[in-house]
Amino acid sequence: MYGFEALTFNIHGGYLEAIVRGYRSGLLTAADYNNLCQCETLDDIKMHLSATEYGSYLQNEPSPLHTTTIVEKCTLKLVDEYKHMLAQATEPLSTFLEYITYGHMIDNVVLIVTGTLHERDVQELLEKCHPLGMFDSIATLAVAQNMRELYRLVLVDTPLAPYFSECITSEDLDDMNIEIMRNTLYKAYLEDFYRFCKTLGGATAEIMSDLLAFEADRRAVNITINSIGTELTRDDRRKLYSNFGLLYPYGHEELAVCEDIDQVRAAMEKYPPYQSIFSKLSYGESQMLDKAFYEEEVKRLCLAFEQQFHYGVFFAYMRLREQEIRNLMWISECVAQNQKSRVHDSVVFIF
Amino acid sequence: MQSSENGVESRNEVAEGEQHILNFLDSVDSYLILMDSLSSALRQGWLELASARHSMGASRVNCALFDLKSHHASTTVQVNNDLPHFKLCKWASSDDPEKYSEEGKFEEDELFQNKSDGPRHRHQELQEKRTEEGGASPVGTDNQIQKLFLQAQKERFKTLSMFGTLVSPKLRATQLSFETALEMLVEISNTRASLLHAYDQVQKDRTNPK
Repeated sequence: MYGFEALTFNIHGGYLEAIVRGYRSGLLTAADYNNLCQCETLDDIKMHLSATEYGSYLQNEPSPLHTTTIVEKCTLKLVDEYKHMLAQATEPLSTFLEYITYGHMIDNVVLIVTGTLHERDVQELLEKCHPLGMFDSIATLAVAQNMRELYRLVLVDTPLAPYFSECITSEDLDDMNIEIMRNTLYKAYLEDFYRFCKTLGGATAEIMSDLLAFEADRRAVNITINSIGTELTRDDRRKLYSNFGLLYPYGHEELAVCEDIDQVRAAMEKYPPYQSIFSKLSYGESQMLDKAFYEEEVKRLCLAFEQQFHYGVFFAYMRLREQEIRNLMWISECVAQNQKSRVHDSVVFIF
Repeated sequence: MQSSENGVESRNEVAEGEQHILNFLDSVDSYLILMDSLSSALRQGWLELASARHSMGASRVNCALFDLKSHHASTTVQVNNDLPHFKLCKWASSDDPEKYSEEGKFEEDELFQNKSDGPRHRHQELQEKRTEEGGASPVGTDNQIQKLFLQAQKERFKTLSMFGTLVSPKLRATQLSFETALEMLVEISNTRASLLHAYDQVQKDRTNPK
């Protein structure tokens, strides 16, 4: 019954909730970002990060640094923290934590399949995979010629198997099929995660429903904008939208027929939470839309920590760390390219 | 009588020499403007690429996705003995062996004039000036122009599809920036050839004073 988690949550989840709240306090602050934005070189960034929790991960990296090295090492820290929490978790928290990584698993599958289609070396592709999305048989993805083989040879034994039912065909893999596969898998994953959170009930269901609904809505907008002017038909576009969220179903009907960014704006401004996002953009512009969505996401993720005794804090922490890594990537790129005037275009402050 | 004719001839020769110097200085000015524009276009392109990576994620925009299968070049450069030495043929259709003409490329550039920033605007002023001097004029009806534009868009999407078919508008903007930089490179090559030609003229006038 909702409201009585305080009686039993700490028995199995209390230790890890304390751990994740401790991790949260290590997130970079606005003062840290101000220092980083004033750096002249990547070595300066490394020096500033040495005073943070990333210090031990970057200290042994030789100069000259590269932006991808900074991102890789910061990601390693996130992976270590995640593995520590997963090792300590019991059901159903362990399943919840595994759900968080399925998105990365889908990205890795698509990366391997796309790279193989382009005749790239599998080892090179494996190095580019996200560590949170790795699984044992990932390297054997390279032998599949179509989705049916992909499923039968490799993915049937992975957590992604249930998501393939909607996209198994015998058509050979090409760029369009892979894109549709990516989005169909992600849609199935989000819906499955949503249903799982609902079964957990209580504060977890309430908070995670809001966060996942926002994710589904943002995906719908991105799919719409990215498919404008492409060969993707309106019906195919509509099929890629998730079957939940604030925009479901009427907002999706409007987004499916949008032909430019202004029509997307007109469809989204009917929903008050998204009206505030689009009010920050000028007409015809979509460049700052990503930042506007990230800012809204960060606001909702931070609010998840205001309540105790639910699993949403774990999801929120992982997403906030990923946002922090994106910030560090952007700052590093601006410093490396000597474009510091543009650094505030994409940095989203968390605190 | 003969002395006045000689005077007229020498004045003409001096004027011709001064014209050669002016041509040389104009070429140097054009060259420097184009180099500055190229630097700006490349800076913008690299930052837009970083922005696309930030938006789409590192797994979707990375060098491991480049297509190593053999395929037709979508853009080629023709080398001529006459000026201009280099002609860029953009977005040749992989389905249709007939390539774009330079006039077709010019029409497409007109359609992109709404993408304006300082260096691009200066580059277009230079290109229009060269077109006026060369006497070339836009050809084709509106339908032809639209057809060329759609063909170019189709080839652009096909090239970008190595990163996926649903890519962020930021990645498309990156593609346009580097496409602009490629045009500028060809323009710089032609301007450099003109500059060297003008320099040769000036040197000839200096060594053989008439």
